[in-house]
Amino acid sequence: MLDLRVPSGWFFTVLGLILSGMGLFAPETRAALSDANVNLYAGLAMLVFGLFMLFMAWRASRRAA
Amino acid sequence: MKLAPVDYTILAVYFAFVLGIGWTLRKKMSTSGDFLLSGRSVPVWITSLAFIAANLGAQELVGMSASGAKYGIMTAHFYWIGAIPAILFVGIFMMPFYYGSKARSVPEYLKMRYDEKTRTYNAFSFAVMTIFSSGISMYALGKLLQLVLGWDFNMSILVSAAIVLVYTFLGGLTSAIYNEVLQFLLIVAGFSPLAILAVAKAGGWQGIQARLGATTLAGGMSGKVMTHAWTYMGSPQSNPMGVELFGMVAGLGFVLSFGYWCTNFLVIQRAMAADSMNSARRTPLIGAFPKMFIPFIVIVPGIAAVALAKMGVGYSIPLGDNGAPNYNLVITTLMAKFYPAGMLGVGLTGLVASFMSGMAGNVTAFNTVWTYDIYQTYIRKNAPDRHYLNVGRATTVVGVLLSIGAAYVATRYDNIMDLLQLVFGFVNAPLFATFLLGMFWKRGTGHAAFSGLVTGTVAAALTWCLTVAEGKGGILGVVHTFPSSMAQSFWIALVAFTSCFLVTLVVSLATKPRPAKDLEGLVYGLTKIPEDRGSWYQRPAPLAVIIIAILLLLNIWFA
Repeated sequence: MLDLRVPSGWFFTVLGLILSGMGLFAPETRAALSDANVNLYAGLAMLVFGLFMLFMAWRASRRAA
Repeated sequence: MKLAPVDYTILAVYFAFVLGIGWTLRKKMSTSGDFLLSGRSVPVWITSLAFIAANLGAQELVGMSASGAKYGIMTAHFYWIGAIPAILFVGIFMMPFYYGSKARSVPEYLKMRYDEKTRTYNAFSFAVMTIFSSGISMYALGKLLQLVLGWDFNMSILVSAAIVLVYTFLGGLTSAIYNEVLQFLLIVAGFSPLAILAVAKAGGWQGIQARLGATTLAGGMSGKVMTHAWTYMGSPQSNPMGVELFGMVAGLGFVLSFGYWCTNFLVIQRAMAADSMNSARRTPLIGAFPKMFIPFIVIVPGIAAVALAKMGVGYSIPLGDNGAPNYNLVITTLMAKFYPAGMLGVGLTGLVASFMSGMAGNVTAFNTVWTYDIYQTYIRKNAPDRHYLNVGRATTVVGVLLSIGAAYVATRYDNIMDLLQLVFGFVNAPLFATFLLGMFWKRGTGHAAFSGLVTGTVAAALTWCLTVAEGKGGILGVVHTFPSSMAQSFWIALVAFTSCFLVTLVVSLATKPRPAKDLEGLVYGLTKIPEDRGSWYQRPAPLAVIIIAILLLLNIWFA
């Protein structure tokens, strides 16, 4: 059976890379009512979450093998 | 609101992933059980999140933030007094019968426990209802995207429906469930930054409390009511919902919520797909943990929006064509003000995802009920399994097409949809009484259950016809006037439940009971409840205790 942690891990890793990339290279992209670099922080959080899911899936597949 | 190329990229990445999951799972679908029931093999963390996600449709997200802006933190009662106790009840007490009976659907349980007519009544009303609720939410999303982004109405509903169709057609229930988990995570990722940013900008929860407490709402109520969930519930005149304590706790908390969470196949189906009895029982319980905190990402932003609008920082509550506030736009206008290009893409993709998870939930539940409870019972009884797999697949297409049809009906006849929802309310309200007596009283009989359900529905309809709220109902005369239509619906549910309960009770005693050996595995006292072993987090009871403790804290904190 497909381990759902793999696709969801990749999904959030990709989203995280896109957003934190925006936050780093286009930090002037801001919303009207927020002074924070929303893309950077949200992107990093998603990146960490995505990598964590991938790590858990990798650990499970190693144990099963 | 204008989207940047990066926002469209994120939407495209999301589409690619949901379709990819469906594509990967297509090879696992070799029997009708794989396609319609997930072969009872899904891990518990997945069924738990899907249990919550199938219910978290776009209408819920948009509607709850709108109610947050309109009624304040009292809206959280839909979760804290409504959903959670019912979720605990279904996990601890009812799941042993659903899962243990080996029924493939909720209507099929009714067949095993009572009789064919009770099942058919439930199966038909459920099938029609799922199609319409999927259509209504499709309509709501199409309208919203049209209004906010200028996307073409036809285009947005057809594209999202096509994607849902492809991945459920390929991978059946498993694909729907797996995608619901991804969608749930995306909703959280897309909505929680908004809650944090909006609340921070409004000065934190204390800031919101202070700001709103100093204002006066329409009707002369103190704005303090917006940030207190319990304090202003003594009488219907003191809160904007127009409900009082008893109506809220008994009507919403008991009848309506238990009726939904304990008998609606849409959510029960997720738990029934779990890989063991223990997992099936823990599915609702584990789902309850995130469910308790969903108010913070959907309701609290709505409240923050009201506070922000009073601050003069450049945000105002959007107005509709008639000049009155259109609270349904609160969540998207907040996103436009707080999210830069990039994060905005994630937020809107989350909204689209919520719509898809709601729709896929409806379509897969419709599939199973149609194939097993209607087709296999009335149209073709003893066909080889292969045949039912094909019927299941074909029903997926039909279900999606019917939902699209219902969405277009909604665009033409706004009132018909209101009326249908009202009628479904009547049909649903008494259901919990039938299940309660079925599972915990072995004397209950089929004739009794059926007459109880019919009486309950008629009683609900009569109550509506004899009472008025906000100008609705009362077509046969006015016996009572409710302060709000919410109060009216809570009381209608109470009347329906009580009459169904009493009629089922009386008719049961007057009809011939079923022999005890026919009811093994179906009724309390004649069913072996499995002993729970393992650590605390592997057992339902300790989980329930922790949930209750957190729930009490939340209610006290926001009282």
